[in-house]
Amino acid sequence: MNDLPQQLANGLLLGALYGLIAIGYTMVYGIVQLINFAHGEIFMIGGFGALTVFLWLPSGTSLLLALPLMILMAMACSVLVAVGAERFAYRPLRNAPRLAPLITAIGLSIALQQAIWAFYPDATKSRPFPEFEGGRLDFGAFAISRGDLFLLIAAPLCMITLGVFVSKTRTGRAMQATSQDPDTAKLMGINTDRIIVTAFAIGAAFAAIAAVAHGLKYGEVNFKMGFIAGLKAFTAAVLGGIGNIYGAMIGGLVLGLAEAMATAYIENIPGMSQLGGGAWKDVWAFVLLILVLLLRPQGLLGARVSDRA
Amino acid sequence: MSGIGPVEPGEDTYQHPAAPAAGATPSRVRHVVPARHRRKAVLAAVATLATGVGVYAVNAPEPPPAPPPPWPSQVVGFAYAGASPDDGHAGAFTFGVSISTEPGRRVTVDAITQPSAALAVSTEPSAPFTVPAGKSRDVTVTVYVLDCGEVPRNSGLPFLEVTLRNERAVQKQSRILGGGYPEDLGAAIGRACADPAP
Amino acid sequence: MRHRSLFIVTTAVTVGALTLSACGSRDDSSEGGGGGKTTVVIGLDAPLTGDLSALGQGIKNSADLAVKTANKNNEVEGVTFKLESLDDVAQAATGQQNATKLVGNQDVMGVVGPLNSDVGQAMQKVFANDNLVQVSPANTNPEMTQGKDWQTGKKVRGFDTYFRTATTDAIQGPYAAQFMFNEKKLKNVYVIDDKKTYGAGLAATFSTEFKKLGGKVVGTDHINPDDKDFSSVASKVAQTKADFVYYGGEYPAGAPLASQIKNAGAKIPTVGGDALFSAEYIKLGKKNSEGDFASSVGAPLETLDTAKKFIADYSAGGYDGAFEAYGGYSYDSTWAIIQAVKAVVEKNDGKLPSDVKDARKQITEAMQDVKFDGVTGTVGFDEYGDTINKQLSLYEVKGGKHVPVKTGVFEG
Repeated sequence: MNDLPQQLANGLLLGALYGLIAIGYTMVYGIVQLINFAHGEIFMIGGFGALTVFLWLPSGTSLLLALPLMILMAMACSVLVAVGAERFAYRPLRNAPRLAPLITAIGLSIALQQAIWAFYPDATKSRPFPEFEGGRLDFGAFAISRGDLFLLIAAPLCMITLGVFVSKTRTGRAMQATSQDPDTAKLMGINTDRIIVTAFAIGAAFAAIAAVAHGLKYGEVNFKMGFIAGLKAFTAAVLGGIGNIYGAMIGGLVLGLAEAMATAYIENIPGMSQLGGGAWKDVWAFVLLILVLLLRPQGLLGARVSDRA
Repeated sequence: MSGIGPVEPGEDTYQHPAAPAAGATPSRVRHVVPARHRRKAVLAAVATLATGVGVYAVNAPEPPPAPPPPWPSQVVGFAYAGASPDDGHAGAFTFGVSISTEPGRRVTVDAITQPSAALAVSTEPSAPFTVPAGKSRDVTVTVYVLDCGEVPRNSGLPFLEVTLRNERAVQKQSRILGGGYPEDLGAAIGRACADPAP
Repeated sequence: MRHRSLFIVTTAVTVGALTLSACGSRDDSSEGGGGGKTTVVIGLDAPLTGDLSALGQGIKNSADLAVKTANKNNEVEGVTFKLESLDDVAQAATGQQNATKLVGNQDVMGVVGPLNSDVGQAMQKVFANDNLVQVSPANTNPEMTQGKDWQTGKKVRGFDTYFRTATTDAIQGPYAAQFMFNEKKLKNVYVIDDKKTYGAGLAATFSTEFKKLGGKVVGTDHINPDDKDFSSVASKVAQTKADFVYYGGEYPAGAPLASQIKNAGAKIPTVGGDALFSAEYIKLGKKNSEGDFASSVGAPLETLDTAKKFIADYSAGGYDGAFEAYGGYSYDSTWAIIQAVKAVVEKNDGKLPSDVKDARKQITEAMQDVKFDGVTGTVGFDEYGDTINKQLSLYEVKGGKHVPVKTGVFEG
């Protein structure tokens, strides 16, 4: 167990990544009760946006200099796609039966994935993503790679900003109001259409940051990466209590930790050696999800922002 | 220029017809020095010949396109010929290997070893030896056990490391013998190390 | 609670749908057949999209080159060859569907592919039922030709229609074990595989031999090949005293795994089989791939004179992407089918038998005796359908390239 600090660090970093993506699921669900299954692809498109900027820049440009541009471009791509999806795919269906927008989301997810596959040069296979030079950073009990540093800074920063935004600003409070009761909010003079677009945009911006972090951490982006990442993030959002922004981050961290712990230690439990290791970590993560939902159906942090059910 | 072709004209070829390139017989030329006209004629003949040779050398199609021989590893085959009857050496295993080559491809075996640090190898005939083109040659290989503690008892894929040479290249390669070699070797090592004394 | 139950149902439906929808697409490269000539279609199945598409496209392009060469040289009098390529996205189920489709096409007389051993296993039976010959350029799992009990010496050929030009893992894994133990003097290994037919099989042949030699397996783990995050596994490896890692699996997961192991602080090489022998492995692993090893089937191409013409023709063909690890084998597999068709045509007075079943049966039988000098050396098949040309090489990543460090020939 002497690698526990390291495994905790691994789990938390992975979890922070899940959490950043999960914000998008949870915000959209909190406001329009829609599971935006195209969110994983919005995340993926952010990654390709960042890669595009890096390829445009003259080769040899320092990654540190390029990074702000990459983040901006990633956000621009993701937000544009998310807002476009909201405007042209989801808004016309706002009063349709629940299943219609959900199926639209699935269709959109496939369409976006295939669009990148078909039209982005060489995207039929994994595209290498720039990585920071140099070895890992040693903190004594644990060490992290340089790519993780970005995630380590970005994730808390994003969470704090979002928390302040939702609780302190006018738009943020309008968002809470819309999530509690859209009809009344409308009566109070809140432009709910604008609020919904904002929710999509914020979720997409976070996904874009997650995509850059993903690229820096794993050194590649590919057209399929939104599927697994999206599924895990969605799980994280449910685990934490869908509709709650802090729940999304907590859910992400718990899921990441569960995966790391399952990979590292399950096999040491006597009689469980066949059920441990990297291939079983998803099983244990979902066992955890089922247990949480059995004991606390509303998720870890309940439904603070919304859930009108 | 290819080694087979005529020697190409050098700087002095035309001025010094007696150069070996001419291929004439300088000694006889010296005998007829007094006869100026003979000398001129010889000079002219030699010069013509040299020029001809030069022209040929320059215009000749690049080395008659005899393709380079294939790499040695591509034309040689090793076959396990079975264990030899025990010759009394304790801790040794003797077996035959038949090395064959393709027609027209001579290959020299520079060395035969094996990879494990706990074993050693000697061959009869001892390397280097040549396998004539299109023939096969039987070689007796003896493997000695040096260290019973470290030796792999029943390796599934023991092989011989051979160094092969021909006109094209020198190649070091593993020849993984089949036909019961792994089993025979394993059994022999088992016999040699049955008594864990050394 | 209305939403919650809807929510659970939709989640289940969605997850199912997304899984099933795993992007598939068809890619046909067909040219018009010559007038008055018989058209023989050679089917091809490989992952043409997705992570393994670099290898798959190399297989497809090389087969296309063989078909074009045969048509240009009029290799078989009165027969025009056509290639029909199907994408299996490295999925066994898709491969099986493709096999059924190829069997259903009356013009298909032979199939090249696939890349993945598990896909190949799913296809074998479909082809065997209809006597359609299949030549794989890349399947390396020994079971596919020699049956489940090949290790105990009870070799049984399962399918008379299945042939391959690639050497099996029965040699690859042990050869790497010998090299690491005897020459690199590394005695402790951490073995990881992706649980797939190819990866798990390769890791098993490696471990068995490594232990026999006296080496120690200090840890084992399995990963999901679709994952990208292997940090926990990497930390586990770094905790042990492993001298190197053996990975049984393919480069899309192998490259990030090897890279993350080095990032976790274990400066040890990762060793693997032919599915790590791709330029993509180095592209994805970047500097971290330096010093890693991969074994691959066949001799290094620069020692094969027959390969030079292939390399020149391939670059003249203007194909997208390199021919990769299996290009030469794919060309030879396709050429073997062409030669089998030729043998049958010559036997039947210049025509293929008019009955499709009969034609396929005769071609399958003719395949057993096909022998020619191919790109990768002598091409021919033994009684199990395995290649008779059993060469293999070990490569090390040096200066951003795979450099051959050792080659071997299996004489058994």
